[in-house]
Amino acid sequence: MPTLDLKARGTRIVLLAGTLLAGGALIAVAATANPAAKAPAVLSAAPAAKSPPARAAARPAAAPRLPGYNTERNAYFGDLHVHTKLSFDAYIFNVRASPDDAYRFAKGEAIGHAQGYDIRLQGGPLDFVAVTDHSEYMGALREADDPKSPLSKLPIVQGLFSPDHNEIAAAFTKIVTAMRQNKVPKEFADPAIAGRAWREVQDAAARNNAPGRFTTLVGYEFTSAPDGKNLHRNVIFRTSNVPGLPFTATESQNPEDLWRTMDGWRARGIEALAIPHNSNGSDGLMFQTTKWDGTPIDKAYADLRRRNEPLAEITQIKGTSETHPSLSPNDEWANFEIMESYIGSNKLITKFSGGYVREALKDGLLMQEKHGFNPYKMGFIGSSDTHNAAPGSVEEHNFFSKVGREDGTPELRGSIPPGGAKTWDGVKVDPLTNIARFQSWGASGLAAVWAEENSREAIYAALRRKETFATSGPRMKVRFFAGYDFPADLAHRQDVVTQAYAHGVTMGGDLPAATKGKAPQFLVWGVRDPNSGYLQRAQVVKGWVENGVAKERVFDVACSDHLPLDKAAWRCPSNGAKVDLTTCAVERFKGDVELRTLWTDPTFNPKHRAFYYVRVLENPSCRWSTWDALRNGTPPNPKLAPTIVERAWSSPIWYEPRA
Amino acid sequence: MNPGPEAAGAAPRKGARGLVGRILREPLVHFLAIGAVIFVSAVVLKQVQRPVVRIDAAELDQLGAYWEQQMQRPPTKDELRGIISERIDEEILAQEARRQGLDKDDIIVRRRLAQKMAFASEDTAPISEPDDSALKALFDRTAAVYETPERMALHQVYFSDTRGEAAARKSAAAALTRLRAGGMDAGGDPFVMPLTYGDVTLTDLGRDYGEAYAAAAASAPAGAWIGPVRSAYGWHLMRVDGRIAAVRPAFAAVRSQVREAWFADARQKANAGLMARLRKRYRVEIAAGGGGAAPEPNAD
Repeated sequence: MPTLDLKARGTRIVLLAGTLLAGGALIAVAATANPAAKAPAVLSAAPAAKSPPARAAARPAAAPRLPGYNTERNAYFGDLHVHTKLSFDAYIFNVRASPDDAYRFAKGEAIGHAQGYDIRLQGGPLDFVAVTDHSEYMGALREADDPKSPLSKLPIVQGLFSPDHNEIAAAFTKIVTAMRQNKVPKEFADPAIAGRAWREVQDAAARNNAPGRFTTLVGYEFTSAPDGKNLHRNVIFRTSNVPGLPFTATESQNPEDLWRTMDGWRARGIEALAIPHNSNGSDGLMFQTTKWDGTPIDKAYADLRRRNEPLAEITQIKGTSETHPSLSPNDEWANFEIMESYIGSNKLITKFSGGYVREALKDGLLMQEKHGFNPYKMGFIGSSDTHNAAPGSVEEHNFFSKVGREDGTPELRGSIPPGGAKTWDGVKVDPLTNIARFQSWGASGLAAVWAEENSREAIYAALRRKETFATSGPRMKVRFFAGYDFPADLAHRQDVVTQAYAHGVTMGGDLPAATKGKAPQFLVWGVRDPNSGYLQRAQVVKGWVENGVAKERVFDVACSDHLPLDKAAWRCPSNGAKVDLTTCAVERFKGDVELRTLWTDPTFNPKHRAFYYVRVLENPSCRWSTWDALRNGTPPNPKLAPTIVERAWSSPIWYEPRA
Repeated sequence: MNPGPEAAGAAPRKGARGLVGRILREPLVHFLAIGAVIFVSAVVLKQVQRPVVRIDAAELDQLGAYWEQQMQRPPTKDELRGIISERIDEEILAQEARRQGLDKDDIIVRRRLAQKMAFASEDTAPISEPDDSALKALFDRTAAVYETPERMALHQVYFSDTRGEAAARKSAAAALTRLRAGGMDAGGDPFVMPLTYGDVTLTDLGRDYGEAYAAAAASAPAGAWIGPVRSAYGWHLMRVDGRIAAVRPAFAAVRSQVREAWFADARQKANAGLMARLRKRYRVEIAAGGGGAAPEPNAD
């Protein structure tokens, strides 16, 4: 670094004539007077805040419709869970990409990965993205890495920044442990640091929002994990009107405090919603039937939670939280990208109950039945949780996982044999290591909404009304309607969507009580992603309460390849689609481009509270770990599933019997 | 008559008067006296004027507001007293630190001052209202920014691959013949995307159906059925009912946006100019090893 010796030349000291006259006396005064006395300190308000940089103004209600506006709504795909270098952990993972980089990536441009290679989406740009950095110590690690910053002198920072994956792991553990023990130096929590980072998040969102083409949403992650049990939420704001600083888990780990704070924001015109994720890593805590203080959930809690959490992120790279095989033993497809460890550590989960969404929906029905309130009436989205600032990077054949240099190579994520070996003979992976954990991660998920146009207002409104669906990565489109008086030929009419909206409710909605002798009909419609596989079956997952007991059942309702649906077991025969594991090629003439049917629930009982959601399954295809192996010329890791069944989940429709 | 004593008596009087007068006329005495007065005043002033730490009403409001923002409720009396006390201590420590020169050679203080200076000086230069010719010139240079892309209204009939790809194509071809002969019943399938678009861009069609479909839509003659066109979902017939070419808006319609862009541009130039002018007022010396001449100021 060059040494700069700056000397004022032009600066002139002007001496007053009177001072010259009384020079001697002044010297005497100067020698005795306290210099502080010369200027009495008067504290006044901070300098008037300058107007923030021009940001995308909310369009007034009467604004002209954007191109592509569709009263029957378009499907838009996005990612509402994205970390950049402003997150403490991403920075430790050597990620240096910014919120602007994240938006560039989502628009289809290439950005750099921490490991040194370039990354880019292959499936085309996304429609909407929220950058959601951890609010705790937001931006602080970046400042700590600046040798000129006082943060860099703190003992905890020493050895925190290393490109070596083992040292990264140690550093990550060190900082997370300090967070959990409340021992992070207070300098890290300087509001000025967080303020700068939060400003950066907002400015990047404002710069990249392009109504009609690409929507950005301002957001952040509330990172609560009491005893390591994951209670993380992403907070997503409706407009650029956001609080001065996020409400963080350092202020309170109790999500109820977050929701109360959000209520307070709402009262001041700041509208936001929170989306819990990785309930699979909560060890039963996320969807328990008690409050934070251990007392049973009451109506006030249920209202507070539902007001602020209309959605759950049910699938992401750290596993899928729809259901666990032990909770849904009769669901042959329940064992999908299951992660059975804590978040950010190799500790194993001991309690699956309370950690999965399907069971939470059932518990919600039970509470509704017994107590008259339901805290768990959630719609579904998926998202990536990328820490590489790479929204939507959940493509099996183009997967680089999510924690920078920690899992940036196939060897580090356990998909190829270590040390350049050509086989898996004699390779043992300790289940309590990072590699074992990264192996269990999946290339999943995306958030999808049905909205009139691609704008903040329209997309946020869709999130609020739960007209959303989740996918494990492919951009499948799912429609789901329920009603009592659809035209009989609904599924075959060209105006199917018009009729369905006119005569029914869609995903996220409530079906009114049935009149005598009527059973609801369900329009189930899945359409493939042209860049992904063909569809093998569409299913309806039903949960209901019968004699005080919550039950569930999975119905296949539409089969591919004109295969006959077995209406006793409600299962489609297998279409026999296979994958060639030596090339990952799939069979061309198996599966359908779309599955569409009008289905009537044969087990419908008008007195049973129920929910219904759709699951659409693709033919099997190579898992990311198999693609890694194929590129490496080695066999797939025998401990891992070589193929997966990509899928989409609609938000539920609820049925409430007459009181 | 003894003039001696008179003279002698008068002389000292006259002499004393002369001495006092001389002393009183002596500039050094004036100097010392003025100095003494100033000295005494200063001592007195110093007693009267201990350094003051004053928390005014605006600051009080702000302290309360900060607290409330964090806690989501107003502070209690005790809490407010605590906040104020902390603020006073902070101010006193800061003043003492300045007195002891602790702010010198401190990189954080320096950086913060630089930030404040930049903050205070940026965007302050008065920028006079541009005339229409300046705005028009900027608009002509950047008109693409204000364009609405080409949009079209189209109808499509969809034949799903669920019929089987060959069967879908055959049905589509047969339907095309019927439609061209004036028939109304095309016999297509429902589709998850719109069968009628009132206002869609080629970009969106390319994204949703693939490039072949977008290319067909781009070149389709208005009002005539064409196809079958292949997509990832099956076969399509389409009729473009109308096009709205990319519209370059009239200058008048976007004048206010152009004006904002002009101001943003002018502000950026003014800020860059400010730094350049400041640079001129300083001589920069860089120790050997700094790579020679001073680098140019950063524009942003």
